[in-house]
Amino acid sequence: MKLQGIARLLLLSCIFYPVSGFSHHSFSAEFDIEQPIALTGKVTRMQWSNPHGWIYIDVENDDGSVTNWALETSAANNLIRRGWKREDLPAGTTIVVEGFRARNGTPTANIRGIQLEDGRRLFSGNAEELRN
Amino acid sequence: MKVRQFLICLVPLLAGALPAMAQDIPRTADGTPFLQGIWQAQTRAAFSLEDHVARHDMQAGQSVVAGGSIPYQDWAREKQQANFANRAELDPLNKCYLPGVPRIMAMPWPFQIFQTPEHVAITFEWTQVYRLIYAGGQEQMYPGFEHWMGDSRGHWEGDTFVVVVRDSNDRSWMDAAGNFHSIGAVITERYTMEDADTIRYEATIDDPEVFTEPWTISYPLVRQTDMDRLLEYQCQAEVEEANGAFERVDNLWYPASIPEENIPFDASAGADLPLPAVPADIPRHADGTPDLTGLYTQGGIANYGLEKRENLALFPPANGVIIDPVDGVLPYQRWARAEMLERREPWRGYDDPTAHCFVAGIPRSHYVPSPYMILQPPGYTVVLHERMSYRVIDMNRREHLPDSIRLWMGDALGHWEGDVLVIESANYNGKAWQNELGDVTSHAQTVREYYIPQADGFVYRATVSDPIAYSRPWTMQMPMPRQDGELLEVACLEDNNDLEHLRDVRDEHRATLSEEQ
Repeated sequence: MKLQGIARLLLLSCIFYPVSGFSHHSFSAEFDIEQPIALTGKVTRMQWSNPHGWIYIDVENDDGSVTNWALETSAANNLIRRGWKREDLPAGTTIVVEGFRARNGTPTANIRGIQLEDGRRLFSGNAEELRN
Repeated sequence: MKVRQFLICLVPLLAGALPAMAQDIPRTADGTPFLQGIWQAQTRAAFSLEDHVARHDMQAGQSVVAGGSIPYQDWAREKQQANFANRAELDPLNKCYLPGVPRIMAMPWPFQIFQTPEHVAITFEWTQVYRLIYAGGQEQMYPGFEHWMGDSRGHWEGDTFVVVVRDSNDRSWMDAAGNFHSIGAVITERYTMEDADTIRYEATIDDPEVFTEPWTISYPLVRQTDMDRLLEYQCQAEVEEANGAFERVDNLWYPASIPEENIPFDASAGADLPLPAVPADIPRHADGTPDLTGLYTQGGIANYGLEKRENLALFPPANGVIIDPVDGVLPYQRWARAEMLERREPWRGYDDPTAHCFVAGIPRSHYVPSPYMILQPPGYTVVLHERMSYRVIDMNRREHLPDSIRLWMGDALGHWEGDVLVIESANYNGKAWQNELGDVTSHAQTVREYYIPQADGFVYRATVSDPIAYSRPWTMQMPMPRQDGELLEVACLEDNNDLEHLRDVRDEHRATLSEEQ
């Protein structure tokens, strides 16, 4: 198989499998695939860190209280290499995410997809496409 | 005095002073000073850049700042003094965080400089930190993000190597006394060889937000002649081993012996597999040696398992990377396979050293999902892993370290067999895992690796011989595509939010076990 073919295969597997794209710890040790979760909330902060980035969002609960969720993404360096900038996810932006809850019951999740309210997907693919 | 008279006076002075500076230093073929070697700062500046008296664990020292003191803005001096008063709690180095520039240069640990026309790399014994200085006029590819170690671009001004460091974060300190800078700081370093064994190091810090004017520090770097390689000090690993957060594994770590229950190790087993061919159109250096310089990543697939897998929940199916034994199954000792299977349980995730941000070891460093850069300075192949570790492969030394010296990254000796780079390594400490799925390695492993050049990268092959965990040698092979791009920094420990979750899961499991008993 050609090297470029391998690279494409790796990219695809990163999109469809929760463990791939993980960089420094076991996915299943921290997160529970039996607890999928969908959240909508306003971004309070994005931490451009490695080997995982973290997005923090305020989510309104059914009783009206607000919980700040910590959402783990892939490495900031992956996003930087695809052209993403700090300004691309300002505080106050409403996002919709899907992922898996942490096993220890804290408001923490690993997220696979991030959408803006208008349906555009964030951090998947090329940064220029979203800005244009 | 007329100009001519002045010159006549000056020439004898220069004749006495200059030859030592200009002629007795090592140079490359084109006359550039050759900084390569093992060095250490001769200074007390790691404790404080300014005059300071002794404190607990701090040697007294005199200022290395031109003019004596740092020209702080008033508010900033107050902040530095508060930093100093609370240094036990606030000093990032007490948490084993990356030291930043210029602090790393003054620390009391040796470091090694490697030099090519395009890059200068500095690898430090302290926690396998390195600096990669782009020295061939490369434009910064990813501006706008700050890093603990900053972004370094170098150029030569006569016999002085000048390095401009930008995009440093504002979380590092410049010494143990709480001296600090802002994100906007521009640090200009100057490396000038005064003689064959001394580099004059200078750094000018220009940061109007914090200081009233630019200021400069200076001290000598002295060649270390009593060692031909650096060893390792893994700061956080030592902390966690000392306080029990990272637990010893008696049957795998040095000096574990071969278990009596083991099937005898058949060192001669192994298919005589031909190496993939090296095509004619590979990049080469001027002397004809294959040019492996570049950025590589395998993408991480082998990090989730070396064997073929089809129905493993969460993991993508994969053909595996084991080419010997030919069935693709690792020749585990029975107890070692049981250990590997247990490591897949959530409560064992905490035990993976990379979850603690420790280095990945060999061969795993090749297939963690972070890229690495290969450089080929004279006499070495240097591999800089983005996840802040490195391996120096010595191309001349032929004997490994004494058996009693054990390292996370081992001791690697390289040589060329035709166009294939062959690396023999030993002296491992047995603390690493082969991957995130928990494939087992012990201190007894020796590894023979092959970098087989291809037009667009290389093929990586590694034969692992580990008579503790396996019954015979086994071999993995995978493509390593060359990537466009530059290395970034993975400051793993500094923002590791995961470990406490993993510890919770482990502790809950242990609590359940003890209740059952």
